[in-house]
Amino acid sequence: MSAVTTARPEAATQPPATGNRPIRRYSLTGRILLYVTLSALLLVFVAPMLWALSGSFKPRGDLFEYPPKLIPSPATLDNYRNLLDSQPFWSWFAISVITAAAATAVAVFVCALAGFAFAKYRFAGKRLLFSVMFSSLSVPFAVILVPLFILMVKSGLSNPWFALTVPWVAPAFGIFMMQQYIIQSIPDEILESARMDGASEFGIFLRVVLPLLRPSLGALAVWQFLQSYNHFMWPLVLISDTDQYTLPLGLNILFKAEARQFDLVLPGAVLASVPTILVFLLLRRQLLEGLSAGAVKG
Amino acid sequence: MTTLQATPPARRRRQLAPYAFIAPFYVLYALFMVVPIGAAVYLSMTDWVGLGTPEFVGLRNFADLARDTSFHKALGNSLIFVLVSLFIIVPAALLIAQALNTRGLRARDLFRVTFFLPMVISPIVIALVYSLVFDRQYGLLNSVLRALFGAGNTDWLGDPTMAKVSVSFVLLWRWVGYLTIFFLAALQAVPRERYEAAELDGAGVLRTFSAVTLPAIRPVTAFVVVTSFIGSAQLFDEPYLITGGGPGEETLTVAMFVYRSAFERQQFGYAAAAGLVLFVIVFGVSQILNRLFSIGRIS
Repeated sequence: MSAVTTARPEAATQPPATGNRPIRRYSLTGRILLYVTLSALLLVFVAPMLWALSGSFKPRGDLFEYPPKLIPSPATLDNYRNLLDSQPFWSWFAISVITAAAATAVAVFVCALAGFAFAKYRFAGKRLLFSVMFSSLSVPFAVILVPLFILMVKSGLSNPWFALTVPWVAPAFGIFMMQQYIIQSIPDEILESARMDGASEFGIFLRVVLPLLRPSLGALAVWQFLQSYNHFMWPLVLISDTDQYTLPLGLNILFKAEARQFDLVLPGAVLASVPTILVFLLLRRQLLEGLSAGAVKG
Repeated sequence: MTTLQATPPARRRRQLAPYAFIAPFYVLYALFMVVPIGAAVYLSMTDWVGLGTPEFVGLRNFADLARDTSFHKALGNSLIFVLVSLFIIVPAALLIAQALNTRGLRARDLFRVTFFLPMVISPIVIALVYSLVFDRQYGLLNSVLRALFGAGNTDWLGDPTMAKVSVSFVLLWRWVGYLTIFFLAALQAVPRERYEAAELDGAGVLRTFSAVTLPAIRPVTAFVVVTSFIGSAQLFDEPYLITGGGPGEETLTVAMFVYRSAFERQQFGYAAAAGLVLFVIVFGVSQILNRLFSIGRIS
């Protein structure tokens, strides 16, 4: 069975119909048990985050009070003030955001283009090229970590602007995701009629395909941005100049410092997470459905 | 006449276009994956401290790895995290997806989104929050245990077994919501008639699950299993940040071993050799899994 091509577009996006013929009537206790379990799980998921959030507003001495309190009293912004006064937080933030945004913008374009080629053209070597691309997903980063680091240093490209962006602008996962989505959502007839009108192949991609891809481009963009913004191992190895630290590296030195400056680390963690959580919450539907659409096959 | 002449170049362009479209990927693939892997093969046969010329030593690094108890420890630990991920995290994700797929469930989106949330948070943030949670004296976990049961003195990060449990828990917390998304989408795509037929046949919950649900979600399960395998086999961030590989080397993974050899001990050749061993294992196993489940093929 060719697993990749038989996907059904409606599968991932449609919530199950809440029809009037329930298959199995769950008893009331069963239902209560389900809600209790899910809610307990919810608590486990958010408790550490809420605790960290609340801790970031507590005076240093109250951080480890016993019993732990969720609502800080007294609440203070001193931790935030101290962090922003004593650390180049905004510089870390800027380097992280700018490199992640640049890598994302290029990656979305490159992935859509390659995904389009794999989805809508027949060409010699397609099977082989696709499996080469797909198999690159199973190359562990640890094998290229050392040689890539050496190559970057030797060629003088070990600055964040190059090394945190260029090698990461063609993620195979993104190409796979786009290929799946294009197969599912773009009918051949549209492409044919554009060709009849004399459009070039690249013109078709730009003016016909890209606009139709908008929802999944959003999903890919969010995903790619998160990957890049949160990447830890590569910047850790690559960047030695503290002026060029990304946000994770900056938080890491605060965290690893002798005195464990939790009163600085917690507000840093909160400030670092707020943008990604906001972006995720705004685009959650697109992201969650876009991610799973590729993997769900009929 | 003009149209006749216009056709061949147009067709030719159409034949060449896909190659141009996929070219950027293959250029970057060659530069940042094939070349480094080739360089890793060369480096793995040398002794190099990062300065001067690498000294050729043949296969000595691999022979040393075979005798290095730290490397064995790292392989064993990575295997444990792979097993945790495949036999605890993946099934947990399926269970949660099943629960979320209950008909008429309210607040499904709230649960789905909240469970996914850890995935958008930076590993460094997760690590520092959890090192506070797991702190023996002041941590949230022991405080809660003390408040509830009057006893909470477990050394979550200092005890060899508990350190693995703690790191595994963080992995579960971080990944389960992500994997749930895939299972949930697959479950929602199972045609309802199949469940109705099973019910008419008088099949129970478990029977329905094994006869209807599992076969229907096989492709997604395969995808999730392979993704989880690849991710957990190269685990680095969580143990590096939360336990530093400790206590001793109890949570040292292969990826951490590579990092430590190269960037803390300046044994670049040795690190490259360890990286290659990981590559051969992970790449080999995932190719077999892909074949087995026919993932990643194209017609």
